[in-house]
Amino acid sequence: MLPVMAVVAVCVFLLLHLAPGDPASIIAGENVSPENIARIRTQLGLDLPVWKQFLVWVGALLTGDLGHSMFWGDPVASLIAQRAEPTISLAITTLLVAVFLAISLGVLAAARAGSLVDRLVMGFAVLGFSVPVFVVGYVLIFVFAINLKWLPVQGYVPIADGVGLWLRNLVLPSVALGMAYVALIARITRTTMLDVLAEDYMRTAKAKGVANRRMLFRHALKNAAVPIATVVGNGVALLIGGVVITETVFNIPGIGRLVVDAIARRDYPIIQGVIMVFSGVYVLVNLLVDLSYTLFDPRVRG
Amino acid sequence: MLQTGLAAAGAASAPGVLRAQSRPPASRTVRAVMHGDIPTYDPIWTTANMSAYHGAMVYDQLFGVDDKLEPKPQMVSKYGVSDDQLTWTFELRDGLKFSDGTAVTAHDAAASIRRWAVRSGTGQLMLQRTKDISAKDDKTFVVSLKERFPLLLDGFSSPSTPVLFVMRKKEAETDPMQKIDTIIGSGPFVMNQSETRAGSQYIYDKSPTYNPRAEPASASAGGKIVKVDRVIFQNMPDSQTAVAALQAGEIDFYEIPPIDLLDQIQTDPAISLINLADLGTVGYIGINWLHAPFNNQKLRQSLLYIVNQEEMMKPTFVDRKWYNACGGWMTCGSPMENDANTGWFKGGQNLAKARELMKEGGYDGRPVVVLQATNIPYMMNAATVFAQQLRAAGYNVSLQPMDWANVVQRRANKGAPDQGGWNIFFTSSGGLSNANPYMIGGMATTGDKGWFGWPTDDKNEALRAKWINAGTLAERQAVGREIQENAWDIVPHMYYGQWRQPAAHRKNVTGWLKVPEAVPFWNVAKA
Repeated sequence: MLPVMAVVAVCVFLLLHLAPGDPASIIAGENVSPENIARIRTQLGLDLPVWKQFLVWVGALLTGDLGHSMFWGDPVASLIAQRAEPTISLAITTLLVAVFLAISLGVLAAARAGSLVDRLVMGFAVLGFSVPVFVVGYVLIFVFAINLKWLPVQGYVPIADGVGLWLRNLVLPSVALGMAYVALIARITRTTMLDVLAEDYMRTAKAKGVANRRMLFRHALKNAAVPIATVVGNGVALLIGGVVITETVFNIPGIGRLVVDAIARRDYPIIQGVIMVFSGVYVLVNLLVDLSYTLFDPRVRG
Repeated sequence: MLQTGLAAAGAASAPGVLRAQSRPPASRTVRAVMHGDIPTYDPIWTTANMSAYHGAMVYDQLFGVDDKLEPKPQMVSKYGVSDDQLTWTFELRDGLKFSDGTAVTAHDAAASIRRWAVRSGTGQLMLQRTKDISAKDDKTFVVSLKERFPLLLDGFSSPSTPVLFVMRKKEAETDPMQKIDTIIGSGPFVMNQSETRAGSQYIYDKSPTYNPRAEPASASAGGKIVKVDRVIFQNMPDSQTAVAALQAGEIDFYEIPPIDLLDQIQTDPAISLINLADLGTVGYIGINWLHAPFNNQKLRQSLLYIVNQEEMMKPTFVDRKWYNACGGWMTCGSPMENDANTGWFKGGQNLAKARELMKEGGYDGRPVVVLQATNIPYMMNAATVFAQQLRAAGYNVSLQPMDWANVVQRRANKGAPDQGGWNIFFTSSGGLSNANPYMIGGMATTGDKGWFGWPTDDKNEALRAKWINAGTLAERQAVGREIQENAWDIVPHMYYGQWRQPAAHRKNVTGWLKVPEAVPFWNVAKA
């Protein structure tokens, strides 16, 4: 985990600092002299050589300090903490909806392989993967928020203000974000299930008269679980990318919005901090996925 | 990571029920989506407009401007000037308090003027002529000048950034080049820092200590009476979402609805459009004087015959009721508007004349590097159209798309255009600021010490100095003509039009005041 994070840290820092853009000019505003902009650059430490800036940042990072926003001066850690709840909420609801829906659809498509149901599910999967998140988002807003007025257009309500309100605000963003994820998991579930269903032991089970539902969910799905779990884990990167767009479209004050706004302003400490946190989450999720193999496949434990 | 985790735990354990109980009802809360995010809370340290919007909420001004843009006392009760116009004496109103409960004194005012003056264009001019700015007692302060400065009250009252907001002496004595993070003002609102989420929403509660004037509100003058309990600036970068939220009643005000969505907005009976800034915004074309081809006067003049503002405005602002072409050096519609030396404008685009000037100037076909900010639609469209107009005249154009953050870095590069420099960039300026030859850096022609483009012209500088010392409006207007006459000969920069961005609001939210380059929330009521 640590080597991966170290590589991420170097890459993120270099990419940001070698890319054009000047936070000092943006902070200063439009009608200022070049001298004032230069003063701000000095105050922010942007006049130091890149290698010195890197050492300062890494030194602080090693003590758990993600730095301070160049704009508001707030600690990056507390900015991320303020934005964590909406993002975690969106990610969890999306994951739950997507995994439940995708596995159900994938199993259904595999059980009815070649039928109209199979084709419909796979058609939906192609559509889900092809249509950008923001298009799905705008369509959902137009239909369910503007026309039907069932759900709010935008915003986030903390869970502490009521679970009902919290969920109400998360329905549209979770569906929009979950579309691509459903498509990905449903396709892999179908493929893996078809492979498992063709195994000899499944034919034996069928010959012994095991009920269809029990055969699909108890025997086939469990044996198909390892590749599905792998895709769910790999899909976290897709989810993180989608969160950034979804939070912008639905105006959710999460970490994704934080980083998008920071990129536009070149607020380096926030961008670096968020990417470090996201990469840490990604590595951690994949570690958990690897560990989950032991639950699905006893051979891995040995 | 550890810090993040601990901070997250702290945030998660915050008493949500308590928060909900202290929150004013929706009927007493105005939710507004402004044109951008607040980059920093110190409105003196930066000239960013959103920081001035924040400043207008939490701080008060010594003087405001009324709806005729004339300076009127705000925190000041009475003032006077000596016969020789060198000593200005000001007395503060009774009952002025900061949000921490302490009284506003003349010492706070004097320190605030000193800090503001270092950062403001008008303030710097004042400082050059100032002997002393000091408090005589807790209520009275004096500005002593070495030579008269007729623009003093204009500077004190100007709504253009940086605005002279009064801070506590403690903060106002901070080095003007250092940012202040403490937010304690004597304005009509108090920032609710515990509920504010930087970058997401900024919460302002009605100040319990604010003491408004008795006169009716007029722009930034008169009584700043707060008629709601809370105003929330919501940062909503997606315009489609903001319009949908306005239609659904989730927000009450949207400062810059995209012009192409106005038809959609206007069909909604619950929403009104309002023009809050008569002088609007002016599109500014920066020209690099340091490098060929536009280090040549003839070639700069050729640009005047090429630019077609109508074509540059139309793709963004669609309907002429929102935009106009303007041949003035200073903002059209302002007292400084005049028609001196505007033959190029009155005659319209004249590519034959432009080619003639290009030939006289010896244009050698070298590429003209045009910086195009693709994340700001009006700048992107103007750059696209202007590049085509330049090509039609015979210029070889290299249109270089990038985001605004990149433009502001690139335009500071004094190097040759083929070595990371540039020839032309686009920006914009508030109509009020542009109505004054001193308010924006682009009006100066002080060479490489000046603003981006670095034009040099002693005559323009002499005329600007003459303008400052003009004692009456008529005299200023006469000097303004001379400035323009000269400017369109030397062409320090140009314009791509003027526009008035309408704001959109729910009809049940009323009382909007027109203040150039600001949006006040006092006087705003919600039914």
